[in-house]
Amino acid sequence: MVADRLATLSEIGLIVESELGIASGGRAPRLVRFRTDLGCVLVATLDQSALGVGIADLSGRLFTEHHEAIDLGADAASTLQRILALFDWLIAKHAPDMPVWGMAVSVPGPVSEGDEKPFMEKTPSFLPAWEDFPFVETLVDRFGAPVWLRSSIETMTMGERFAGAGQTARNMLFIKVGKRIGAGLIFDGRLYRGAQGASGLIGQMPVQAGDRASTLDALAGSDMIAREGLAAAQSGKSPLLADTLRRGGDVGAIEVSQAAQSGDPASMEILGISGRMIGHSVAMLANMLNPDLIILSGTMAQTNDLLLAAVRETVYGESHPLVTRDLIIAKSQMSSSAGLVGAAMVVVESLFEPGCLKDWIVHGTPLAHPVFLALRTSCATKRASITAEQDRPAIAP
Amino acid sequence: MTISGLGPHGERAAPPERIALLADDIAAARMGRFRVAIVLHTIASDWAKQQIAGIMATFGDCETAVIEVVDCGFAPEAQVAALDRLRGEKPDAIISIPVANSAVANAHRRVSQAGIRLLLLDNVPTGLLPGSDYVALVSADNFGLGTIAAAFLAKRLADGAAVGVLSYHAEFFATNEREIAFNKWMLTNRPDIRLHVRKFDSIQTAGTDALALLERHDDIVGFFVVWDTPAMEVVKALERAGHHLQVTTVDLGREAAINLASDGMICGIAAQQPYLQGVAVAQTCVLALLGRQTPDWVALPGLAVSSDNVVESFQKVWRKQAPREVLVSAKLVKDPSAS
Repeated sequence: MVADRLATLSEIGLIVESELGIASGGRAPRLVRFRTDLGCVLVATLDQSALGVGIADLSGRLFTEHHEAIDLGADAASTLQRILALFDWLIAKHAPDMPVWGMAVSVPGPVSEGDEKPFMEKTPSFLPAWEDFPFVETLVDRFGAPVWLRSSIETMTMGERFAGAGQTARNMLFIKVGKRIGAGLIFDGRLYRGAQGASGLIGQMPVQAGDRASTLDALAGSDMIAREGLAAAQSGKSPLLADTLRRGGDVGAIEVSQAAQSGDPASMEILGISGRMIGHSVAMLANMLNPDLIILSGTMAQTNDLLLAAVRETVYGESHPLVTRDLIIAKSQMSSSAGLVGAAMVVVESLFEPGCLKDWIVHGTPLAHPVFLALRTSCATKRASITAEQDRPAIAP
Repeated sequence: MTISGLGPHGERAAPPERIALLADDIAAARMGRFRVAIVLHTIASDWAKQQIAGIMATFGDCETAVIEVVDCGFAPEAQVAALDRLRGEKPDAIISIPVANSAVANAHRRVSQAGIRLLLLDNVPTGLLPGSDYVALVSADNFGLGTIAAAFLAKRLADGAAVGVLSYHAEFFATNEREIAFNKWMLTNRPDIRLHVRKFDSIQTAGTDALALLERHDDIVGFFVVWDTPAMEVVKALERAGHHLQVTTVDLGREAAINLASDGMICGIAAQQPYLQGVAVAQTCVLALLGRQTPDWVALPGLAVSSDNVVESFQKVWRKQAPREVLVSAKLVKDPSAS
């Protein structure tokens, strides 16, 4: 039975024999492995100020990645053109003869659709400015492969789980600190998405700082850090930031974060307040979920150690001793790469999910999945309505 | 000048001021008596020599000993062998330019796993992460260099012109960034320009590749080549074939500088500052050895070099007098052949 199945898979070209295994008496077994070079996976991460792209094999291993600054507030069509151009460049450079088996894009907000059907059929609502824009449809039609959209927090959590500090963790809490503060959860080895794909919106949790009550986003996110930093620069409370301002430099959250790392007392105080606020919320989650690992990510967490220190202090102080006994709290070393690796893993996991796999495996490629073939036709029809500008052939980036 | 690119993992660049050494740092480094090895793609180029000079000067001030400088000759296997051998020497740190991507990734990983601080110049093999696999990357703002080169060439292009882009076949962060930035600048600022891309495998074949691209698209009026040595091969090949086209590139090599100054085919150069990059990587290395926090990516801005400022730019980049041919072209000295 097993030999028959393996023979079929080998005939289709999905597996190859590799090296000999270790014999446990008798002949050494011949190992087989899935061919990771049958197709490639294109991935992109979109956030408010940066676009990342990458290309991976079917194990989710990135061949290369590239990141550049963008303004997501600009029109959706120009961002799509940029993604198309960069995907073309990645294919030309790394996989000119390899079919694209799937694409995944991480976006700044939660993505409420995608789990019910094997393939995403239309662009879900994820940003007001992208409402009714045929993003998914264009990608499907242009590259002839299925597309998955996930929130950036979900893909980063997946990336950390498969290639970062979370590789051995069964239960992990991933906290991203930026303008918004979000949490990703690995529960028993798998990403937990929630009923609507909106789990982990901890930035919406109500918190109190002195006599001010608002959301965690408002009282601990990077907007608060930038605002307080600018005030400290203007009042002279922070000589370092005041000097930056005097020299014509911007004082934003990154500058405050770097100043704190350099020992500027006012900036350290701002980061400490933010870290303790985040720590209170994370401690609540830790007491409820008892994770092995908590990872802090985002520019704020990665440009200084103070935020991490404040979160650690608060979580350790406010959690049950059993919860913190073996708990590790660390910062991510993967930066934006986590999102790209995680996006590749979204594609790989989705393609090889048993329910999807059984419908394409006999064809040797997911691109021949009956549902996807029908989807391609509908996407081509929808794409016909895209403006001539979007239809212009992509040029090398 | 600001840094326009993002790092290999999307990091924001830290300016070189961030890793300046204070008197306390230098004093502590002198007490540490550190030992450092350097593994470069080549030590023959002017660029590499200037980097080494910057590194040596900074380590000299800190009384940090450089125990070996390895020339890998662009060969991944030579780099792997060198890194594996140097691990046995147990230096406190190794500064390396990864000459390839996956072929040298694990050898670099093994350095960090052995407890040796690893500082990277210009390139990060895909999958290696700052903090766990290496301390920091120090490089030029390669994205910015690509945009400088594009702006130079664009001034010389008529509406709807065709341009050849010669990109490097190997997977290399610096050259990828330059190519992407050049093309993006053109797409954004000169959407009328048609770009034709071809990859070259080695410096020696760049000229042949340029001619092959030109044969296929005979309306090409200019080239962007991702660094100066292959660019000069392109210039020579074009000259031999009787063409005079506009060429822009990155790095102010001697030959490219002479060509630029004498109104040759090179119409503008985006220059790195290799000496300062050498200083920056040595400073970052010292800070890491002292246990100080270091940024994941330190980037230095590029210089826009035209025939108008080639003399002072040459002095700034190479810290020595510009070649006599450049001075003659700039009419700063008499042409001996004219008398």
